[in-house]
Amino acid sequence: MGSTQHYVIIGNGVAGNEAAYHLRQRDPESRITIITAGRLLFYSRYELPRVFHENCDWRDFLVHPVEYYANNRINVRRNSFVTHVDAHRKTLSLAHKEEIQYSQLLVASGGASYLPAELDEFAPLLNHFNLYSAACKVRDILPKQGKVVMLGGDVLGLDLARNLVNDGYKVVLVATEHTFWPHRVESDERALFLGALRDMGVEVIEGVKIELIEQGAAGMSARHILFDDGREIFADVVMPFLGLLPAADFMMGSGVDFERGLLVSTNLRTTDQNIWAAGDVCQIWSPEENQYRFYYGWKNVKKMGEIAAKNMTGEDIHWETATDQKLYIDKNRQLVSPYWEHD
Amino acid sequence: MKETDIQLMFCGSAGDGTIAVGDIFKRAMAKAGYKVIAFDIYPPEIRGFGKCISRVRVTSRQAYSLKQESDVLVSLNDSYAIPHVPEVRDFGSVIYDNAPITSMAEGEHISGHLLPGQLPYGLRIREISDQTTGGSKSKNIVALGYLAGLFGIKPEPFHLIIRDKFKKKDPSIAESNLLAFDTAYTEGASTFRLDFIELGAPERQEIGSKVQMMTGNAAVVRGCLDAGLDCFFGYPITPATSIMERLATELPRRGGRLLQTEDEISAIAATIGAGYAGVRSATATSGPGLALMVEMLGLGVISEVPSVIFCSQRGGPSTGMPTKTEQSDLHLAVYGGAGDAQRIVLAPTNVEGAYRCAGKAFEMAEKYQTPVIVLLDLYLSNRYETVLLPRQNPFEGESSKHRSRVERGIPYSRFAFTEDHVSPRTIPGEEGGIHVITGLEHNEMGRPNDQSDMHNRMSEKRHKKLLAALDHPGITIHKRFGDTGSVDVGILGWGSTVGEILEAMLMAQAEGISCSVMKVVMLSPLPVEPIQHFFSDCREVLIPELNYEGQFANLVASAVSKPFTRFNRVPGVPMQVADILDQIRRLAERAKSSSAA
Ligand SMILES: Cc1cc2nc3c(=O)[nH]c(=O)nc-3n(C[C@H](O)[C@H](O)[C@H](O)COP(=O)(O)OP(=O)(O)OC[C@H]3O[C@@H](n4cnc5c(N)ncnc54)[C@H](O)[C@@H]3O)c2cc1C
Repeated sequence: MGSTQHYVIIGNGVAGNEAAYHLRQRDPESRITIITAGRLLFYSRYELPRVFHENCDWRDFLVHPVEYYANNRINVRRNSFVTHVDAHRKTLSLAHKEEIQYSQLLVASGGASYLPAELDEFAPLLNHFNLYSAACKVRDILPKQGKVVMLGGDVLGLDLARNLVNDGYKVVLVATEHTFWPHRVESDERALFLGALRDMGVEVIEGVKIELIEQGAAGMSARHILFDDGREIFADVVMPFLGLLPAADFMMGSGVDFERGLLVSTNLRTTDQNIWAAGDVCQIWSPEENQYRFYYGWKNVKKMGEIAAKNMTGEDIHWETATDQKLYIDKNRQLVSPYWEHD
Repeated sequence: MKETDIQLMFCGSAGDGTIAVGDIFKRAMAKAGYKVIAFDIYPPEIRGFGKCISRVRVTSRQAYSLKQESDVLVSLNDSYAIPHVPEVRDFGSVIYDNAPITSMAEGEHISGHLLPGQLPYGLRIREISDQTTGGSKSKNIVALGYLAGLFGIKPEPFHLIIRDKFKKKDPSIAESNLLAFDTAYTEGASTFRLDFIELGAPERQEIGSKVQMMTGNAAVVRGCLDAGLDCFFGYPITPATSIMERLATELPRRGGRLLQTEDEISAIAATIGAGYAGVRSATATSGPGLALMVEMLGLGVISEVPSVIFCSQRGGPSTGMPTKTEQSDLHLAVYGGAGDAQRIVLAPTNVEGAYRCAGKAFEMAEKYQTPVIVLLDLYLSNRYETVLLPRQNPFEGESSKHRSRVERGIPYSRFAFTEDHVSPRTIPGEEGGIHVITGLEHNEMGRPNDQSDMHNRMSEKRHKKLLAALDHPGITIHKRFGDTGSVDVGILGWGSTVGEILEAMLMAQAEGISCSVMKVVMLSPLPVEPIQHFFSDCREVLIPELNYEGQFANLVASAVSKPFTRFNRVPGVPMQVADILDQIRRLAERAKSSSAA
């Protein structure tokens, strides 16, 4: 590979940054551009619960020091939203109408929080925890010992829940089919795990549907939630944790095969020669299961970033199907997800 | 109380309202009670469409100069702003339009040029302007509203200034611009902030109080008017023109006269003529104009007629660099002309100094019967500062305006030798004051005389009468700042560069370097003794100035025997504080090692 290559990576998460690192190692002369809708450099989202109990700012979450990018000549284009990819012309368009030419493109745009249609109308009253800014907002509006209602409770949510409980907040979990996502939980395990959550101090509500979420009356808690069985809860913050949907709308019309995520073969190449995908956005072909599959969690997506970068620079490495990461209860009777182990 | 110190840089093309928005911002901040120092850069063309930059530093206490790095860059035109992105500090913010109207190739949008440590703030600038005013002309006001909201600056002073700005236009224009400002203000206030910019409360907060913010040239005008200027003669030249422009409106209102002459020679001739006639008169020019004036200046010296010449320096020689700053007319101002033509030369170092020097120049010209040159430069002429001018006119009452010294019955000698070397002056038409006045060397009566003894005595008189000016009351001739007593590094400065020198000194002191600064305002006659005293206190002396040769250093070299370090730069822009600081550090090391040896 020569110095004329321009590797463009859409996504500033684990997959994108791991790929950028390996691309630089393997092709020192090339241009590397990471494009991200966010305004920050790569930071550790797994550590966001720290916003509650430390006097910290976003600089404390950065994975690399600022100099890393200049030293490695990795240009991070922040606040730049990709709207379209033209595989034929090898260009992508940004929302601010700039067009970028690539030699090889890696799509590592991750996933966005999933919100089912029936909750759509309540979206303005919901808070998220997927970004630094969102986390700070929750911190700022949540009073000391305040109450949080979690809808669903995927592993990201449960991670936050245990942190909140430890910090003295009240957490109410409205269990749904998305609880424990992306773990596959058998029905007999489910009761056990929910019990572990209760032991942890989380109040669990099961078998209900949400009828209404509304602004609390003046002087009352900020949110009022009404369930279909007539129960109601007052809370300070309501957060959906219902799993992720691949964030790849901009690939529509690009000519690249797409199901729920971008379809890639085991070498992480899409159906276009020059477009690759890694991380939460892609579905990898599993020869064993004879279908395309998602693999989540930082360990998996980091590996994908590495494989994609190596293959983009001439190697032929294949994704080996990881065994499912199982949720379990440890000897201290604590619920544990392997996703919660960090570097 | 938290100290405020932020610097904003607005960058766009002529027509984007870049200078206008910088102006609203600094006026609003001054109105809110903050201290401001600001400097605008225009395109070199007389009426061009080039790059405009407005830099504004807002502080709780008056700063001495602009900072090298800005905290915020507002781009009103990406192609012009992109080269200035590196001037924004780490974790500083860049505000730009993220919904431009036209498609662009890679690299044309500013977001692609931000350094990793800088923070992007994209806003639909043009769209908001369109929605609120029906056009894109108010992009600058939108950007202003956004940044005010973002940094939590109260909107009221902005409202006042915007209303004032558009008061001569249809009222709907002010209203739509206020709407543009407020809409963007709301966006700014609700934007999640990543920067660490904080504004402390201003020291004085009375909105609507009379805050004095002006440029160096405006301060000159104010000084002239307060000193009772009667007549002004001038010929336009950058960067002095605005003195004449302002006076053209202000002077007639106060009963004065202004005449635009056909060239600089006529201007100085008329100025000296008016001075001879006994009225306070002045002219203003730049280096090329002063070069034309020096012959007449010699006439002013030998005929001992008061006159005041403002010279705002720009890059030279010849037409040189009309829109760039420099300090290279010092030799011309101090020595220019035929013969031993001593005169007074004052070089204010800041806007307030420009006011004081302008006002005092008339008094000195009259008292010592001589031309007085007030030397500014483009940077000082055009930069804005908040200044605290005394409520009471300081030049009133103490005026030494002509008072007849003709005594009845005693033959009148216009050039009599006296104890203080100043002769009794009369103006034409005064009874008993008949005399000859000429450019030839003369005797006490003014009659031509080229005897060696007479020339000797007259030269001595013209020289010595000026020495008293070194103790002239009410004006700073020189001043020392920083550490007192013996120091490792002393920095001697003059003119506008003193601002950067003082900032560098403060930084050096913060690093533990013992140093002090002496600014010299009177360049002719030179305050030799205080300079020698300063030298004896300093292990190392540095003289930074914006000219190639070290023209001030040359003056100093003739007064002291101790070696010193010259630091001469001709970048056309103000000296960089960091460069001066580097020199101070180097000399501090040298002082340490030589004292250890
Ligand atoms: C809050 C949070 C906590 C997590 N905690 C854990 C944990 O404890 N353990 C664990 O193993 N995993 C955790 N994860 C990991 C998660 O499950 C993913 O597997 C992982 O983050 C995926 O990384 P990625 O690089 O594929 O995408 P992401 O990290 O999601 O990054 C996607 C990037 O793409 C950018 N992007 C998306 N669309 C566009 C567009 N149109 N234009 C420009 N840029 C775009 C985004 O701005 C972002 O930079 C967490 C994730 C989140 C959000």
